[in-house]
Formats: sequence, C-alpha cells, structure tokens
Amino acid sequence: MKPLNLMLCALLLAPVTLLPAASGDLARWERSLVTLEVNSQGYNYIQPWTRRSQSTQKSGVVIGPRSILTTAEQLNDLLLARVQKGGRGRWYPAQLEWIDYHANLALLTSDDEEFWQGLRPASLMTKIPLSGDARVLRWREGKIEARKMEINRARIETGRQTFIDIMHLELNGEVPGVGFGEPVIDGSRIIGIMEAPAGSGGLAVPAPFIKSILDARTKGDYRGLGFFNFYWQRAENPETLKALKMEQTDHGVIVIQPLAKIGEESILKARDVILEIDGFEIGPEGDYQDPIYGRTMLEALATRGRWAGDGVPMTIWRDGRQMEIEYKLPKAEFTDEMIPDKVFDQPPEYLIAGGFVFQPLTVPYLESWGGDWQRRAPFRLAYLKQAIPTEKQEALVVLSVVLPDPYNLGYQSIRGLLVREINGRKIVRLPDIEAALKEPRDGFHIIEFARGDSPGKIVLDAGDLSAATARVLQRYGIDQDRLILGDSN
Amino acid sequence: MKALICFLLAFAFVAPAAEVERSVIQITVFAQPPRWDVPWQFNNVQRWNGTGFLIKGRKIMTNAHVVNWARQILLKRLGDPRPYLAKVAFVGPDCDLALLEVEDERFYEGLEPLEIGDLPEVRSTVVTYGYPAGGEQISYTRGVVSRVELQPYVNIGNRSLLAVQTDAAINPGNSGGPVIQDDKVVGVAFQGQPGLENAGFFIPPNVIRHFLKDIEDDQYHGFPQAGIKFTDTFNPALRERLKLPGDDQGARIDAIIPDSTKEHLQVDDVLLKVGEFPVASDGTITYRGNIVNLGMAVTEYQHGEKVPLVIWRGGEEVKVELPVYVLTDDAATGSQYTLPRYFVYGGMVFTPLSRDYLVTLGRSWMESVSQDIIAELYYRRDMEPEKKRTEPVMLADVLTHPVNVNFEVKGRLMVDKINGIRIDKLEDVIRAFESNRNAQHTIEFSPMNHVEGLDRAQADQANPEILKQFGIASDRRL
Repeated sequence: MKPLNLMLCALLLAPVTLLPAASGDLARWERSLVTLEVNSQGYNYIQPWTRRSQSTQKSGVVIGPRSILTTAEQLNDLLLARVQKGGRGRWYPAQLEWIDYHANLALLTSDDEEFWQGLRPASLMTKIPLSGDARVLRWREGKIEARKMEINRARIETGRQTFIDIMHLELNGEVPGVGFGEPVIDGSRIIGIMEAPAGSGGLAVPAPFIKSILDARTKGDYRGLGFFNFYWQRAENPETLKALKMEQTDHGVIVIQPLAKIGEESILKARDVILEIDGFEIGPEGDYQDPIYGRTMLEALATRGRWAGDGVPMTIWRDGRQMEIEYKLPKAEFTDEMIPDKVFDQPPEYLIAGGFVFQPLTVPYLESWGGDWQRRAPFRLAYLKQAIPTEKQEALVVLSVVLPDPYNLGYQSIRGLLVREINGRKIVRLPDIEAALKEPRDGFHIIEFARGDSPGKIVLDAGDLSAATARVLQRYGIDQDRLILGDSN
Repeated sequence: MKALICFLLAFAFVAPAAEVERSVIQITVFAQPPRWDVPWQFNNVQRWNGTGFLIKGRKIMTNAHVVNWARQILLKRLGDPRPYLAKVAFVGPDCDLALLEVEDERFYEGLEPLEIGDLPEVRSTVVTYGYPAGGEQISYTRGVVSRVELQPYVNIGNRSLLAVQTDAAINPGNSGGPVIQDDKVVGVAFQGQPGLENAGFFIPPNVIRHFLKDIEDDQYHGFPQAGIKFTDTFNPALRERLKLPGDDQGARIDAIIPDSTKEHLQVDDVLLKVGEFPVASDGTITYRGNIVNLGMAVTEYQHGEKVPLVIWRGGEEVKVELPVYVLTDDAATGSQYTLPRYFVYGGMVFTPLSRDYLVTLGRSWMESVSQDIIAELYYRRDMEPEKKRTEPVMLADVLTHPVNVNFEVKGRLMVDKINGIRIDKLEDVIRAFESNRNAQHTIEFSPMNHVEGLDRAQADQANPEILKQFGIASDRRL
C-alpha cells in the first residue's frame, strides 16, 4: 500500500512544480493570456450542399492596444468568436481583425470596452534563443499552466496552412494538447506562438517572423507573403558545375525548375546557379547564415522582411558569367494553383444537373478520401496535385458523384471523373458548365471526360434535364442546384 | 445394404481414376528469379513443387508459374522413385500454361496421355489431382463448378482470360494439376484468391486448346486483344443518340488503344456481335450458358486472325473483319519472364521501368517513388499518349566510386535526358553516352529536372574497375 500512496502523492505534486506561484513572473501573463472560443462552419465535400457548425477553443495573447494574437488555424469560415480573460468567467464577443493563412497568424479584437480593462500587452522578441528552456502558457481551470519545453532549433518547412515554406521553431517536451496558439515565453517576452504538435514536442511560429509582419502591416507595407517559385538542387557535384561552365564550387545552388504565375515569366532560368540572395552567400547545400536563426535554408530569404511584390536581389551564374538580377516575389495565393490546397472562408462550390454533381477539383475535395488521400483518392486525381496551371487550363472540374435517378440510368456508378468538354465547350470552371448546358447538341448533352478516364463520354437527354434536376433536388433534400461564387475561385 | 452401395460407388469412382492418376506427375523445381533492381544478379535458389500431367505428343502440361525461372526441373511418376530431368518446351505466361519434355525414354513407359475434354457445366462435379503441400503422395479433392467467368491471371498480372471457379481445395503444389471429369482433363488448377474461402480456380479447356494451337508453329504468341474499352448502353438517351433499337443489345465502344483496331473501329460504334456471340447491352456474351465479358470472345482467336464483328454505326449494321494481335505495349505493367535489360556506366545502373522493378522496392513501393513514375508506367498511355516513352528508363542505383561520389541522386529516379538526348528506351542511354564528345556527361532526371554531371574521361576509365568491384560480368544486357 505504501508505495502506491507515495506514487499518488508524487503525481499530485507534479503540476505544482510546473506552476511557479502566479504572483511571480507568471502574474504579468495573467493580464495578457486569453482564451478564444471559435465557432465556425464546416463542410462535407462529398455532399457540398450540407453544412455543419464546429466549435473549438484556443489561446491568444494580447500584444497591443485592443489586439489579440493567435494562429490562423481554426479561424477559417468563422461564424462567431468569443474571448475570455483570466481563465474563467465571462465570455466577450470577439471580432477577427486580420488573418493571414500563409503566415498562420491572426489578430482579433473585442468591441466590448470592459474586456480590455486590466489587460496588458506582451511584447514579441526580436531575437530569440535557439536553445535552452522556454515555457508554454495556457489557461486551465482558472489557472495559468506553464509547461517547460526545450527549444530545439529553427527550421524551414511548409507551413500548416499554406504551400510555401516558412520559418518554424521546433520545441521538445511532452505537453499534451498543445499547438493551438499558446504563447511560448522566455521570462517576460514572447518567443513564439504554438501552431502544432510535432513528434514529442511542437512547432511554433517564431516571434521575429511575427513581429516583422505585424510591423510591416502597421506601416502599411505588408502585401502578404511572397515565395521563391522555383525548385533547386544542391551544387555539391563539381562536374555538374563544370558542365554549367562554372569552376567555382564553394557556394551556390542550381535552379532546376523555375515557375511563374499564368501570364508571367520567371526571371530565373533552369541551370542558373544562385550564388547570393539578398546579400547572403548561399552554400552548396542551399543554406545561408541567418543573423537570427543561424544556418537556414534559402527559402527563409523570401519572407525575411520581404513581402509579396518586393524585389529580392540575387547574384547568379548564367551561361558562363556572373550577373545580378532582381527576383520579384510572387504572392502566395491558393487560387494560383490548378488544384487549390485550401479553400477558406467560402462554402464548397457545386453544380447539380440531372443528378450529376460537378465540383471544382480542390484538395479539400480530395481530402474526402481521408488524411492519407494521396494514397486513397483515385490516382489520376491525386497525381494532378502537382500539375502546373496553364492559360488554357487554370483549374479543373470533376464529376464527383451521381445521385441516382431514372434520368442517369447506366451512369450511377461514375465517381471522380475530370470533365473535359460539355457539348463541345471546354470546361475549366463551373460557369463553363452552366454555359455549355445551354447549348445542347441535337437535343442531347454530351459530356466528355479527360483522356483515359472511363467512360470517356456520356450522353444525356437535354429536354428532360430540368425536370430530372428538380426531381433529384426534391428527393435528396437539396435546397439549391448550384453554388457558384464567380471567377475569384 | 447401405454400406454396400457406398462401397460400389467408391469402387466405380476409383477404377478409372487409377488410370488417370498414373499420368499425373509430381514436379519439383529449383528456381532462381532475377533481381530487377540489381539486374545482373539473381535471388537465392528457391525450391517449390507443382503438378503436371501427360498429354498427347509426349509433353507434360503444367502451369507457367511452376517453371518460371527454373534452373532445374525434376519430375516424378506415381510409384516410380526415380526423378527425371525435364526442360521447358513451351511457355505461355499470359495463360499460365507450360509444356515440358523429358529426354529419358523410360519416363514415358506405361504412361497414357490424358485427353482434353470440354468446359464443365456449372454445378457439375470435378476432381482435382495433384501433389499439394501437406504430404508427399498424390491428393484428390472433389468440388463443384461454381461459376465460369473472365478472371485476372495472376502469373502475368495484367491479363484476364476465362477461368472456372470451384470449391475444391486448390493449394500450393496443386498448381498445374489436371481437373478431371469423366476421365478427361476439363481444367488445369492454377490459382486461388486471397480472401475467398473454399474457392480455387482452374484454366478451362478453351484456353488450353488455344495454347496448344498457338504453338503448332513452334512459337508461342499469346492471346490477342482488340484493345477497346466499352460501356453499357442502358441509358435511354444514349441509345437514342446512337439510334440503337431495343434495349437489351449492344455495347458502346468508349476508347480504342491500338492503331490496328482504330483502322476498323471507331468510338461510338456499338458491338452487336463478336464472332458468333451476340453482345448484350451490359457488354456480356453467353458462352456455353455462362454470362461472360465480351472480351472473352476475342481471346478465342489466334494472334493475327480476323474476328468477324457486327457493329452498329450511324444507325445501321455494319460487318467488320477485325484483325487482332497480342498487345505488348503494356508488358512492363505485368510480370515479365525475360531477364531484365540493363546498362551500367560510371557506376550508374540503368534499367527499364517496370512493375517487376517497382515491387523490389518493398511493399510500400508506391510511396518509395515519385507519382510521376507511377503515372508513366500505368497512366501515361491513356492520359498523354504523345508524351509516353516506349520504355521509360530508371536510374536504379549508383554504385559508389570516386567518379560519382559527389552525386546527390542515389537512384530510384526516371531518366529524362542524357547529354541532351531524350531517353525513350534503354538503347538511347548507350547512344547518348557513346556519342558525347564534351568533357562532362550530363544526366537529367524527371520530373523535377535534376541534373548530375560526370567527367567523361574519368568515367570511361573507371567503368571496368566498377564492373570488377561489383562483380558485373557484362556492362549491359539488351
């Protein structure tokens, strides 16, 4: 019996050791740390006309007058937000002031004066430690919980809510349920904001990155994050460099695939060797010496105080000679992708005709196959994720499912086919389908799918389409036959 | 009285069976499949067992998969302790049949060839003879013919032929054994299906006869295909558009792959009759009372023969004589039974992309390579035929040597260009290296355009050394 009692005591004592008296250095955080309640709209891309609401709580930290900082995650498709101070008591209405999904940052405010009484802004560090201990704060049952985590390193990787690479701070330490906007602190200042659990620790958005964006925003300079729209390889093989007429082998990376938005051309060419970016020498492994983060991959230079549309000076080697160029940072935008990674702040678009459900091909649609959709979704659709949009094909429409009706007899099993043409009209977006269905061919609608899809074509009776659509909507309890939000998506 | 009847029945059954079983042969194979990722090497020698049976012409029929990659084939007769050496006379990988020969005359003494019978009726009883795992002696399992359908033949993996399902147990070692009804061979046991209980499959007589007819010219070609995809014609609007009368006949051609078929057929033609078989609106035909996919009718013909078709085109019936051929352009998506082609230069191992190669990367091979490689192998032919390579080439491995030690790539990549030459097949790799006069070779990879340079003089010099170091007898197998 005795050992068990001792163990129980040890367990009971454990939290206490993690909570230095709130009157100590944590007391000041009681006036900065807040809890957010987020109520948002959720969607089912298999039945895009359906809606649900979802609710979650996360942390925020007051960082300025009437300004609460948190991560952007969970704040998309927001219906209603509330904020609570002191870890208990009244919930105040909160409003989303600014959100940047690519940076994974958001600012909220509250128009309730009473909420701000007693609150004090915390400050963001401009230079952060890259090792040693930090603490992660959150409200738990009316008390501030401060859990120790160890700073492991800063690293560049694809952001939580974006396709671009941004800076993250990696922390070690078993803290269950962390990763929802909790501030990571070093004494009196913020080192970062927790954004996700990762392994036996978590990832945080580092404070200098946050501060640079917020400062630029205050000055009106922030135009969103830009990125380096090219792929590169290491330049460690001297024979590759010799083939590129370059003898110098101690630094630089080789551009292998320069990309550009539709209608634009990249200033970089395949086989350019990038020697310097923004005054920083690039190593043969693609890294540079960052004044804050130490050895860091070159992608960080696209967001290091430079924003979408800014020019970044580069020294490159091309055709046997060195030259200076200015790389204009393209803006990170989901709508530039042929298959958008994210569709935020809008319900899924769809069009139902005769029981055939047409939808834009997006990653949220592919995610209907589950978290491992890359393996489980039809290969031909998942493979298109890497496709580069062209002027002729900047987006894709998929016939996602068929709602069975006598009208579509024989076609009920069709799933996930790419729509190429309807009645001879090329299909890129849903409005193309609307237009095409107004122009039947000899009383028929001819729907053709992408090459290699099976079937390659189906034929429908144009005269019966409206009646069939009405019947399907009624039978399946769908209020609208379409939701099309215009060309912006 | 009851006991007596049972005994008599048993006797009546055993008597002719004793004649059959003497012609059933136990086969032991020592095989050594090649390594597709290290294409000059072979796997460890493996031993497995199968069954065969004597047919006319002093040949022993068995499954192709019993004798694949055999280094030695030993046959044993019932009640004869001596092993007889055999060799493969003919093999049909697509239909999973093979014929063996024995030089030793004594092997044939007292053996009578078994006769090939007809397709057994569903619900009728058949007996499988063989030497399955679990014992040394001949084993019999009785079962009912459950159904007759087109089934994938797993030996090749990318072809379907008619197969008969039975509830007789067909276990490892049964492969190649005869399935007997009325003392005649009505099938060759060949495969099971994971997840299905009490279900085994055998190769029916029409497939066996096709194989035997095919090799009459001493060469095996295989089963031809029309290379078409078709859809049902249930939808009333579709039938109206096609001006197709009635509602129970015809399958619409949805896509055509080979040019030889495109010359005679077009998309939206409706197949009304293939050979002697009328085509139903769901794309099936009735073959000896069994509803099967219409593709089966084409497999009754030999490579190069013409299949008489009745099609519906533009509102009227048209007769077409469609020549059909064994299609080979998707061979890399099935199991292959010729040694892998390769070329080694500067430590780089080049070999054609194939399913056989990919499965060597492990069970989760789909995640081990880029999606582009999977698309190239399986989908490019349909999606972007103009971009498809005849024989995509992989850099399978880089054999470490000072000449290539600075490479970032380590293998498992598809080769796009070498010295500016697009690599459409393995021969292009050799041509591209041999024709280069620059100081460096440049090797570019797909899809990301990664490039590696290699000093030409150093690579030329290092090549014999690398081959010796890694025990590669020849730098190429073409």
